[in-house]
Amino acid sequence: MSEPFEPKIVAFVCTYCTYAGADLAGTSRLKYAPNVRIVRLPCTGRISPMFILKALQKGADTVLVSGCHPGDCHFTAGNYHARRRWTVFRALLAFTGIPEERIRFSWVSAAEGAKFAEMINEITEQTRKLGPFTQYQELQKVIETQSTY
Amino acid sequence: MGIQEQYRSEAAALLSSGEVKLVIGFGEGSTADRRRPLFARTPEEAQKFVLDAACIANLSTYLVTEGLLSDGKKVAVFLKPDGIRSVNILISEAQLKPDQVVILGYAIDKAEITALEGRNISDFSLGEEIRSHTPPPHILQEAERIEEMNPAERFEFWKAHFSKCIKCYACRQVCPMCYCRRCIVDVNQPQWVSTSSHTLGNFEWNIVRAFHLAGRCAACGACDRACPVNIPLRLVNYRMGKEVIDAFDYCAGENSSQKPVLASFKQDDPETFIL
Amino acid sequence: MAKIGVFVCHCGENIASMVDTGTLVKAMSDHPGVAICNEYKYFCSDPGQETVKRAIREHNLTGVVVAACSPRMHETTFRKACAEAGLNPYMLELANIREQCSWVHSEKNQATSKAIEITRSLVEKVKRNNELKPISVPVTRRALVIGGGIAGIQAALDIAGAGREVVLVEREPSIGGHMSQLSETFPTLDCSQCILTPRMVEAIQHPKITVMTYSEVEEVEGYIGNFTAKIRKKARYVDMSKCTGCGDCIQKCPVKKIPSEFECGLGKRTAIYTPFAQAVPNVPVIDKSRCTYFKNGKCKICEKSCQIDAIDFEQQESVETFEFGAIVVATGFQIQDTSVYGEYGYGKYKDVITGLHFERLASASGPTAGKIQRPSDGKEPETVVFIQCAGSRDPSKGVKYCSKICCMYTAKHAMLYTHKHHGSNSKIFYMDIRAAGKGYDEFTRRAIEEDGADYLRGRVSKVFEENGKLIVRGVDTLLGKPVEVAADMVVLATAMTPQPDAKQFAKRIGIGYDEYGFYNEAHLKLRPVETAKAGIYLCGACQSPKDIPDSVAQASAAAAKVLGLFSREQLEREPVVAAVGETTCAGCWGCVYACPYNAIEKKDITDRNGNLIKQVASVNPGLCQGCGTCVTFCRSNSIDLAGFTEKQIFAEVMAL
Ligand SMILES: Cc1cc2nc3c(=O)[nH]c(=O)nc-3n(C[C@H](O)[C@H](O)[C@H](O)COP(=O)(O)OP(=O)(O)OC[C@H]3O[C@@H](n4cnc5c(N)ncnc54)[C@H](O)[C@@H]3O)c2cc1C
Ligand code: SF4
Ligand code: SF4
Ligand code: SF4
Ligand code: SF4
Repeated sequence: MSEPFEPKIVAFVCTYCTYAGADLAGTSRLKYAPNVRIVRLPCTGRISPMFILKALQKGADTVLVSGCHPGDCHFTAGNYHARRRWTVFRALLAFTGIPEERIRFSWVSAAEGAKFAEMINEITEQTRKLGPFTQYQELQKVIETQSTY
Repeated sequence: MGIQEQYRSEAAALLSSGEVKLVIGFGEGSTADRRRPLFARTPEEAQKFVLDAACIANLSTYLVTEGLLSDGKKVAVFLKPDGIRSVNILISEAQLKPDQVVILGYAIDKAEITALEGRNISDFSLGEEIRSHTPPPHILQEAERIEEMNPAERFEFWKAHFSKCIKCYACRQVCPMCYCRRCIVDVNQPQWVSTSSHTLGNFEWNIVRAFHLAGRCAACGACDRACPVNIPLRLVNYRMGKEVIDAFDYCAGENSSQKPVLASFKQDDPETFIL
Repeated sequence: MAKIGVFVCHCGENIASMVDTGTLVKAMSDHPGVAICNEYKYFCSDPGQETVKRAIREHNLTGVVVAACSPRMHETTFRKACAEAGLNPYMLELANIREQCSWVHSEKNQATSKAIEITRSLVEKVKRNNELKPISVPVTRRALVIGGGIAGIQAALDIAGAGREVVLVEREPSIGGHMSQLSETFPTLDCSQCILTPRMVEAIQHPKITVMTYSEVEEVEGYIGNFTAKIRKKARYVDMSKCTGCGDCIQKCPVKKIPSEFECGLGKRTAIYTPFAQAVPNVPVIDKSRCTYFKNGKCKICEKSCQIDAIDFEQQESVETFEFGAIVVATGFQIQDTSVYGEYGYGKYKDVITGLHFERLASASGPTAGKIQRPSDGKEPETVVFIQCAGSRDPSKGVKYCSKICCMYTAKHAMLYTHKHHGSNSKIFYMDIRAAGKGYDEFTRRAIEEDGADYLRGRVSKVFEENGKLIVRGVDTLLGKPVEVAADMVVLATAMTPQPDAKQFAKRIGIGYDEYGFYNEAHLKLRPVETAKAGIYLCGACQSPKDIPDSVAQASAAAAKVLGLFSREQLEREPVVAAVGETTCAGCWGCVYACPYNAIEKKDITDRNGNLIKQVASVNPGLCQGCGTCVTFCRSNSIDLAGFTEKQIFAEVMAL
């Protein structure tokens, strides 16, 4: 038997809201699943679809993208731009066969530490049910074995 | 006088009067059903223009050849409605100046060729026509078939196709909207898109290109026709076009003063998928 | 070659109890490019920082990762330490293994491997960090104050008092704002004009203040320290440099029946007028729409009456451009149009008035010289009904919020009324009495206990006329009984709302506003007088309903912010800004549209002979706030964001 599956979740978050919300979960000592790895960016506007794609290739089983609620963006409108990109990118990935549950989007404010903790738990559980995201990972393995020639 | 003769003489007149420096049209190809682009700089050369049902290429792509329009002179070009649509997009993205392009418009209906009225981009209003435009039935059916698949089947479908891609970039080469001086695939610091043509890298490339064309594709089908390994690129472009219409009520190339769909927003854009 | 130092902090037990720091140190020591990896109990302490500094010097480190608490906690601390040791402060990353790891997990192995991954990915990032220098922008040490109410006046006086130049722009012919319309002011009942007029005079006489009345800000461009504003001076038709304010023209003007805006229509004014007797500047304006000369081409009586030829019918409006370093917005409020409340009969019955009307009736300089007379027939009312929350706290027809001042001024009105008319009868319909503030609760109590104001808790459902009386029908919810009061006059405490043009104005100068049009502060609690746009500050009732003490306090706070900014000639800014790679930029202008701060301009690239080759995008580092929205848009990857470059993030993701 191989090891039990431990999901890997990569989260791209903005520093002003969701990152601060995750910090708040910490200062409030809320416990949540240790499966998430956070990449801090100044604003959701900085979160490029390429990041999501790369994370999925590098072994993320689910990617989370999160930032300030509409109207609360520290940069006034970065999240509105981000929302449009996500809408389109999400449709594109779905159309090319990536299950929608593999990429999750949320608004988490600096005050929503509890929401962050609950969400990570929920996403981890869901990913556990979905199983590993093998499609890209297997293709990645093919490359890695090829390049050992 | 048939439309071919009419446009030949109009092209010749434009050149001899000096109004345009160049006319981009179609010439004879290697076989009767193939046409190649013909660049006429003299009235004599203009006599070689051919216009028939085989003239399906989107010649607007030549307008964004680097340096072509930097002298401020005008160029005339043979365009179908999808080509006119591309010109709208190119103008809205500041790649063309509306007054530098003289449009010799035509439409193909089955084997029938008709001339389109108007010479300046502002003479054409495409709005309704392109909004209600549907791709050819076989594409539409195929797109619907994919939508009905489950994700795993969809993935297999595209994997089968993308694994064939040889990264020749013909799709990029023919696309009028791929005018970047440096494509993201040529960025190697960092290497977002791997250069060798393994399946994962091909996924990357095709996803990136589709994303870059979202809300910008004129649906001319040039990429699809250019692909040497017959990847149905039109399917994914069609799906993206549909998404921006459905979600943002945005139809690329409706006019030449649109703001790019991904550089604008409405506060109440849909967000049902966000927690 | 990268030489990275990794410093793993125990944070006492906070980290060490959940993350096996020894394993983390071991893993990092083996990581390529890591020159030294240490652990310590408290790296943020002085000895801890010394350790970091020493390591930087001894190992010639090219980058530092401190695996400790959140960067929001100690990034500045360790940046400073790096700089002191001679390393560029931006060659530092903090791996957050406390807030986002040790504190939130309960299984040591998992927490440890997570800590390793977090730290590793930041080591990969820091290897690609670039040395950055804070951006310094010059500061024009002159302030623009928009709105000449008490808030604007106070801000202008404070800034000028500290020796900085101020331009105070007011769109009405006189400064003073709403406070000049008030009779007495709560909670002390001192006369509003008496405390305001000296301030207005001080402002106009101040050598550092340029007061521009009858003027509007047309356009604002630029950024903190470097704004340019166009100010349109409307034509006054009176030469300000000549006029002595004698008022002869006003006396002679034949058009005398214009309802005075200042008197809320209760008094009349002429076509050439000053809004009120104590107006500052005391220079009249000609109301072009009412002037007989402008209408019929004949009259000019005022011109003839003026002994010093100050009247100038040829005067044109003019636009002046100034440079400013900071802007204070103090455009104040309006009261809500109460005619939406058909049931109160406002607009239908002459004797149903607003609180502002009442102020004018009670004012010694008002149309009735301070006598409370009802508008319909000039009789002194025996019974007055005051209706509080006439618009406030009413999501269905009015506004959701509490206007904050109405409880207080209604109590004031009841008192003034009793003081002026003994034996009178005031009945106040209220929902709650909100009298929080120094001396405020005492004030409302006085109204009840000493001046006999009769408070009825409940809503009024209808006001109608019957036998020459206004019948006010409502419910007394404390008694649970319907009540009817036969009144001679009804005063509505109408809601305070933003200026009708508040939203357009906000767009013009680029600040945010809420659903009503009140201007948004950068942070409700911690940055209440700043806006999200650096260099633009707020004070007074344009931000939310406020009384005079709060408006003045906020004005002084805004002035302090401005003076803080003006204390230096150069402004240092975080260098997290975008920059364009001009060779690859295709000039599609997507980034230009996307930038929330209009920080990207189009730049001409010319050849040696000055011929235009192409246009490319160019980021103004003074305006850029560093969100990175443009970077994500650019298809050709031609823009990058310092501190969060594509290379850095790529490496960070690949190492996760
Ligand atoms: C009936 C009533 C009674 C009150 N009684 C009291 C009281 O007893 N005690 C008390 O403390 N408070 C009282 N208040 C509250 C008080 O009026 C306000 O707190 C105070 O006036 C707010 O000052 P401000 O400068 O913010 O706004 P305002 O007084 O409204 O001044 C704003 C100024 O800006 C100008 N302006 C607006 N837009 C522009 C523009 N775009 N360009 C240039 N200029 C512009 C306006 O013309 C105006 O002169 C009362 C209010 C009301 C309605
Ligand atoms: S993506 Fe293909 S169909 Fe769309 S405009 Fe480009 S070439 Fe034409
Ligand atoms: S044309 Fe076809 S094979 Fe060539 S790069 Fe495009 S998708 Fe790949
Ligand atoms: S988005 Fe990129 S290519 Fe377009 S103008 Fe901006 S920097 Fe240039
Ligand atoms: S980083 Fe943000 S603020 Fe700066 S230029 Fe780009 S979009 Fe504008």
